[in-house]
Amino acid sequence: MTAGTRTSPAATEPGAVAYRPVGAGVRLVRLYAVSRRVPVALGLLAAFGALLGTALHYHWSIAGGLAAQLVIPLTIETGAGAVVAVSLHGPFGEPERATGRWLPWLRLGTALALTGTGFGALAVGASAGVLPDGTLALLRNFAGTAGLGLLSAVALGGAFGWVGPMAYLLVTEVALNGHPTTPWVWAARPPHDHGAALCAALVFVAGCLAIALLGPRDAGGNAAPG
Amino acid sequence: MTAATDAPVRPIVTASAWDAPVSLLRLLRIELRRSSVVLILPLVAALFWFDSYRPSTAQQPFWVLRTFWNMGQGHTIIDVGPFVAGMAAWIASRDGRRGTTDLVSTTVRARWTTRLASWAATAIWAVAAYLVFVGVIFGVYAYQGVTGQVPWWWVAVGATAVAAFSAAGFAVGAFFPSRYAAPLAAFGGFLAMVLSAQTGFRDRTGWALVLPTNSNGNYDQQDSGIFYHYLPDLPIARTIFLAGILVACLGLLGLPSGAGRRWSRGATGRWSRRTAAVVTLVGVAVTGTAVGLAATARPSPQGMAIAALHDTANDRPIDYTPVCGTAAQTPVCLNPAYRRYLTDVTAALAPVLTQVAGLPGAPERVTQVAATYDTRGAMTISGSPPVLSIPLGAESSLPGTSGFHEGVTTTTQFGNILRAQFTQAFVGAGINDDNAARQAVAGALLLRAGVPLADLPKLKAIAQEGPGPEIGPATGPVYAAAQRLAALPDTTLHAWLAAHLVALRAGGLTLDQLP
Repeated sequence: MTAGTRTSPAATEPGAVAYRPVGAGVRLVRLYAVSRRVPVALGLLAAFGALLGTALHYHWSIAGGLAAQLVIPLTIETGAGAVVAVSLHGPFGEPERATGRWLPWLRLGTALALTGTGFGALAVGASAGVLPDGTLALLRNFAGTAGLGLLSAVALGGAFGWVGPMAYLLVTEVALNGHPTTPWVWAARPPHDHGAALCAALVFVAGCLAIALLGPRDAGGNAAPG
Repeated sequence: MTAATDAPVRPIVTASAWDAPVSLLRLLRIELRRSSVVLILPLVAALFWFDSYRPSTAQQPFWVLRTFWNMGQGHTIIDVGPFVAGMAAWIASRDGRRGTTDLVSTTVRARWTTRLASWAATAIWAVAAYLVFVGVIFGVYAYQGVTGQVPWWWVAVGATAVAAFSAAGFAVGAFFPSRYAAPLAAFGGFLAMVLSAQTGFRDRTGWALVLPTNSNGNYDQQDSGIFYHYLPDLPIARTIFLAGILVACLGLLGLPSGAGRRWSRGATGRWSRRTAAVVTLVGVAVTGTAVGLAATARPSPQGMAIAALHDTANDRPIDYTPVCGTAAQTPVCLNPAYRRYLTDVTAALAPVLTQVAGLPGAPERVTQVAATYDTRGAMTISGSPPVLSIPLGAESSLPGTSGFHEGVTTTTQFGNILRAQFTQAFVGAGINDDNAARQAVAGALLLRAGVPLADLPKLKAIAQEGPGPEIGPATGPVYAAAQRLAALPDTTLHAWLAAHLVALRAGGLTLDQLP
């Protein structure tokens, strides 16, 4: 067979799709999203938004001052952040890493898209009532915990991306009872605290970079589909 | 051919009665060795220290106060439970995630049995870790010389709660085998605890008392475990409640169609599923019973009492030998748990006892009494000869730090508060007393004891222990009269008090009738 006689597989195999860069890119993104259970994540983020709306509308607040009233919205925001992190769990491990040169961009894109969607869902949910610290604080808290979840996924494995946000939530819950001065407990700081916003942003950027460049840790025997 | 027929037939091995338990124990051992729960225990230990132990050190060294945050308000459960639920969900969803459900269903053991073994391993690790963590912080408290009785019943509640969290998380993972099962179980558990705390803060009676984060009426009185025992009624109801949830969740695991199948015998597992349904119903019934029991709780001096669970032996006061000192020749006796405050109390009372010595109703003895849940308690003078009763347990401003308010109470502040309470009791002022003459005389006694005039309004508000008017400046006719009285010579004031105390206590004097 010479070069001139070579034909594309699409022309010879029935049902084969012709190679088109754009179509292949879309297909790659779609397959990646499905393998990461992104549709389920989107549904869960919408559910978290609805839960936040319900909590604010029906005043599910802890008795006490403003700090105590933040706990329930913060729990919901952190739960949504954990969903973003767990979505990055890769079911294929080494074979995917060895062959997928677009993986860093796919991971970054997924993390950014889910964070943006999650923030949108929570902001829409928050419109059903009065969010104690406002939308800016919601963005700060959600981005910070999502970043923490991504870092947690890199360190512990994608399936355990929820562990970091959960631990941070407990730390914040204690901090809310006092008057923390460190901006690293950003959720317990006032909404216009620049230091807290900067720390949350730093953690989010670090999380995105880490998940893009390193990917979630392959937890050996636990790297199962799901 | 011949050789084949001559070969000895392999004898049929009949299973002994011990085979099943032994193989189950082997299965449990394997699950214990490979349990993922172990991985998060160091993190949970760190959080336990940060959230449960560290805040408690700001409290006074009494068991009931040191453990108010972590046991009374259930923070030890909040620190451990959600993580355990998350990991249990992850473990339970293992087969579903890996697509091996059919494969493991064909094994010799029923699916429900193997799942129970997985859950048992998770629960054993979680509860053991919880008990170790609690044991360590209790050991540290004991080393620090914390006084009173150890709240063991609340440890039982916490351990049962952790087991219930593991069962609930396991059920979530078993029914929704997905990567999201773990975070949903963990954050769902945390949210449930937070909502439970919200209900607990609001509701002081009724079914909400069954919630493990509710400290109302059962853990918010300092003298629990010092003058009287912790009432176990509510912790028992909570343990039943949590055990019911645990049993119901475990029963749910056996309900799916494949859960009861035992492949080697070809059985359909119908009986197994029926058993699971009964177990689930029993769990629900037990939970409901506990809620009903909590709804019948009534406040008693020692805490919430549930008639169906109450043991009158728990109403007996705790025996003790008082520790005594002297203030202005008056014996002052405290419970030995309060020994560290004896010097402060005698120093606080000495100046005011000196002023009233020899007057009608002046106490000849000072003794500490228990602060109780129903009346809390206030300083009173009663009996013949008169005895001053001081419920130090009702006092939230003991010297040092307190988790209930910011800052540190100095010994001087503590002394002034005791003096203010004493003068209120001596002039016969009750809670929210608005008799101007009595307030003026009480103020005069405080001024003569060295209390600054500016502090009088605040001390009066603290001494009366009730929601009084807003604290204002020390101005007006009452304070003017108090300053006038305080400026009188000792003998003149003493003589006037001796002549008018009875009328003053009866409320029969006005400011104009004061010297």
